[in-house]
Amino acid sequence: MTKDFLATIKRRVVIFDGGMGSMLIAAGLTQREIPEAWLLTKGEKIAEVHAAYLQAGAEVVTTATFGASRIKLQASEAGKKLDPERVNEKGVEIARKAVEHSVKRDAFVAGDIGPTGLFFPPVGTLKAADARAAFKEQAQALERAGVDIFIIETMYDIREAVEALRAVREVSSRPVVVTLTFDRKPRGFFTMMGDTTEAAAEALLEDGASVVGANCSLQSGEMIELAEEFKLVTGAPLLFQPNAGRPVMEHGIAVYKQRPQEFAQDVVKIVAAGANAVGGCCGTTPEFIREIHNALIHGK
Amino acid sequence: MQAFLDSCAKAVLEGDTEAAEKLAREALDKKYPPLEVIEKGFVKGIREIGRLWEEGTLFLPELVMGAEAMKKAMAVLQPALSKSGSRPKSLGHVVIGTIEGDIHDIGKTLVATMLSANGFEVTDLGADVPAGKFVDEAEAKGAGFIAISALLTTTMSGQKRVVDELKKRSLKGKVRVMVGGAPCSDEWAREIGADGYAGDAVAAVSLAQSLMGAR
Repeated sequence: MTKDFLATIKRRVVIFDGGMGSMLIAAGLTQREIPEAWLLTKGEKIAEVHAAYLQAGAEVVTTATFGASRIKLQASEAGKKLDPERVNEKGVEIARKAVEHSVKRDAFVAGDIGPTGLFFPPVGTLKAADARAAFKEQAQALERAGVDIFIIETMYDIREAVEALRAVREVSSRPVVVTLTFDRKPRGFFTMMGDTTEAAAEALLEDGASVVGANCSLQSGEMIELAEEFKLVTGAPLLFQPNAGRPVMEHGIAVYKQRPQEFAQDVVKIVAAGANAVGGCCGTTPEFIREIHNALIHGK
Repeated sequence: MQAFLDSCAKAVLEGDTEAAEKLAREALDKKYPPLEVIEKGFVKGIREIGRLWEEGTLFLPELVMGAEAMKKAMAVLQPALSKSGSRPKSLGHVVIGTIEGDIHDIGKTLVATMLSANGFEVTDLGADVPAGKFVDEAEAKGAGFIAISALLTTTMSGQKRVVDELKKRSLKGKVRVMVGGAPCSDEWAREIGADGYAGDAVAAVSLAQSLMGAR
């Protein structure tokens, strides 16, 4: 018997997982490769990341399908030859198996949908219908493969987030989490298109988002303020997944220096500000999730 | 004349490409000095966009539209400038591109547009550019400046390879290196020996200006 995600998130704080890409880089993913290709060739590496997050206390594992829409795959040499449907199915299969083999058998599998990487006019030439079709194809594959919920994340344009959300809604009635990525300006928090938290929450809830929030770009400290702002503009359940600080280079590799304990202390404040779900983004590791778990459960 | 210059600035500020083009033609018809129209009119609009963008009043779409309007006006005024011999003082030549392995184009293109709108000559190499190519092109063009974009933590090490290549060819210091992109920072620029980091297109213009000793 699977738990009801929405009932759970309304009752208590749910812990999501942390970064996937930065973990795979640590496991040897090169700049010529993409995580989506590893789903087909080195699935065991991705399974290991899921397993480590589950072990650390994550209650949601996010499929490694962030860049698995047809438009995004087409944009890279490594992705061009991949079949979106197969990549997405494989992503769910690996995540599901990781859950079944873990101590957290009732963890949720979240089908991950990231941005196309293209822009709507006037910045780019992306057409709403094309974005919708690509997202629908991806959502269908994820739904068929049996995800528990969807997560549409790192969106920088409300319009694109809405296309992804509508695409999911066309093929599924499962809960959908939508997070955008915000920059901090002197006047407040905005997406690079100038969308505010209020505009985002309003548009996303109107199209059936179950949970809204923010991920990436910001560090945990900045995310506390953003959480406070979100709480003022919506009563919807909120998810926040900050980065582990800003990366610095060591021996030619990007290293995130923030310590897990320090991150977790900020996450406690994000929860106090009103978050219903928390996790990590770039640079976070199972250690970060373990610290969040400890801080929230044991208060240390 | 001042009212005319103000309307040029306004056309750019509002991203009104049609008005910008029309005003540029009008300037030619009325025999206004093209250099003055550019520097005291259209460029003022771009600067104002930059200011409003930094404070968070305008965003990417407005920035792109403003740069488009600027380009339209420049296309009309450029031939007249060349004919009159009064070239706008080029602040220098910038070779720009996104580093190899990285296909993110938009930020780099925006920086290129803003640099050229602000008086730099720009050679845009596109995305996925090998480190050596930046240096080859800078040597060929006699460029004083290389701007490298990297949006991924996996590709940003390529920025260091460009700096290393400059050192190898004894061009370090002669060609200034500017880095940008989501994972970059001032510390990163210092660490790899680049001359500066810019977090956005507006900061890139200020950085280029200060490095060129212009202004």
